[in-house]
Amino acid sequence: MVQLTLPRNSKLVTGKTWPKPEGAAKLKKFKIYRYSPEEGGQPRWDTFWVDLTKCGPMVLDVLIYIKNNVDPSLAFRRSCREGVCGSCAMNIGGNNTIACTKGWDEVAGNTITIAPLPHLPVVRDLVPDLTNFYAQHAYVQPFLKTDTPEPEKEWKQSEDQRNELNGLYECILCASCSTSCPSYWWNGDKYLGPAALLQAYRWLIDSRDEATGERLDDLEDPFKLYRCHTIMNCAQVCPKGLNPAKAIAKIKHMMVERVS
Amino acid sequence: MSSGDWTDPRPMSPHLQVWKPHLTMAASITQRITGVALYFGTFLITAWVFALAMPAKADGAPAECYTVIESIISSVFGQILLVLWAAAVLFHLANGIRHLLWDGPHLGFEPKTASAWSAFNYIFAIVGAAAIWFAAAYI
Ligand code: SF4
Ligand code: FES
Repeated sequence: MVQLTLPRNSKLVTGKTWPKPEGAAKLKKFKIYRYSPEEGGQPRWDTFWVDLTKCGPMVLDVLIYIKNNVDPSLAFRRSCREGVCGSCAMNIGGNNTIACTKGWDEVAGNTITIAPLPHLPVVRDLVPDLTNFYAQHAYVQPFLKTDTPEPEKEWKQSEDQRNELNGLYECILCASCSTSCPSYWWNGDKYLGPAALLQAYRWLIDSRDEATGERLDDLEDPFKLYRCHTIMNCAQVCPKGLNPAKAIAKIKHMMVERVS
Repeated sequence: MSSGDWTDPRPMSPHLQVWKPHLTMAASITQRITGVALYFGTFLITAWVFALAMPAKADGAPAECYTVIESIISSVFGQILLVLWAAAVLFHLANGIRHLLWDGPHLGFEPKTASAWSAFNYIFAIVGAAAIWFAAAYI
C-alpha cells in the first residue's frame, strides 16, 4: 500500500549535536540516523563533525572514526570493508550504496546524510531488519536444480553459456537495490524486489539448470514479478554496477515466450 | 509492509523523506500521473467530439451543448488544460515508446542512457506542446 509519510513511531526528531574534534584541520558535517531499542522513543538525526585529515577516504571510515573517537555506541554493519560482503549497505546522501566503497568526497553537499536502508524496520541506528529480504532470496531457490543423473565430473558449460551469468553472479546481496525501489517500499511483502529477481534470472538463464518451467511458475502472479514498473532505481544505485531492471525485463520476456 | 498499518514497535527507516530521486524515477512517476490525466482528458475530448456530432439548430446555429463545451475550451482555463493535455500526451507517447524498447529488445537499460532518455522525454513534451499551441494560435 502506498503511504508517503512515515508511521507515527518513525517520525524523526532533531537529536544531539556532538562536539567538534579539537584542533581539527578539515571538518565535515555528518547527519546520522539514530535509534536505540533500549531508549525507545522517536528516532533522531544526530550531527557529527569529522576531521577528514584523520579519517580514511570512504564513508565507512567516517563511521569508524565516529565510533572510535566520538560515540562508541554508534551501530552499523560491516565486515569485508572492500565491497564483497554486502553488509555495509545504507542510504548515503539520499541514495543507497555500500559505505566501504563510497568515498566521502563523492557525496555532494556540505552535510552528508546517512540513514539505514529505506522502508525497513530499524533494529538500531544504521542496522535494519533484513529478514524479509533474505526470505525472498530463499524463495527463488538460488541453487542448481536438475533431474538428470549427476555427471561423473562437473556439469559442463560452454564459454558462451558461462558468459550469460556475467552481470548476475557478482551480486553481493547488499539489498541496496530492493530497498531503493518504490514498488518494493509499497508492496515489499508481495513483490520479490530487484535483488531476488536478479538471482531468479541468474538461475533461469543458467544452461545447467533444469527447473526453468518451475521457476517461472513460482514468479507467475500479479505481484512477485510484475510489480516492477521499470522505475530504474535499482540499476541507478547498485554499487556493483549490475542491472536488476534489465534482468527483470528478461524474465518478463521469458514469461511471454513460454506461452506463445 | 505498508506504513498505514505499521504495527512493528521498531521505527520504519525513512524512504521518500531521504531519497534523492534520479531522472528515471521522476519519469516513472510522471508516466503514471500523465496516464491518469489522459484517462480523464479523454472524457473531455469525447464530450467535445460528441457535441460536435450533435445536429445544428434549425436556424443553423451550433447545438447548445457544443456552445457550452466550446466556451469552456476557449476560456483561459480551458486553454491551459489543453496545453497541459498536449504535453501529457506527448510525454506519455515518448515514454511509452521507451517502455516498448525496454520490454521488447531490452534497449536503454544503462543508467546514464536511461537518465538522458528521461530528460529527452520531458523536453519533447514541453517543446512539442508549445509548438502545437503556437501552430494552433498563429497558423
Ligand atoms: S543487485 Fe546490486 S544492489 Fe542489488 S543486492 Fe545485488 S549487489 Fe546489491
Ligand atoms: S563492508 Fe563488506 S561490502 Fe562494505
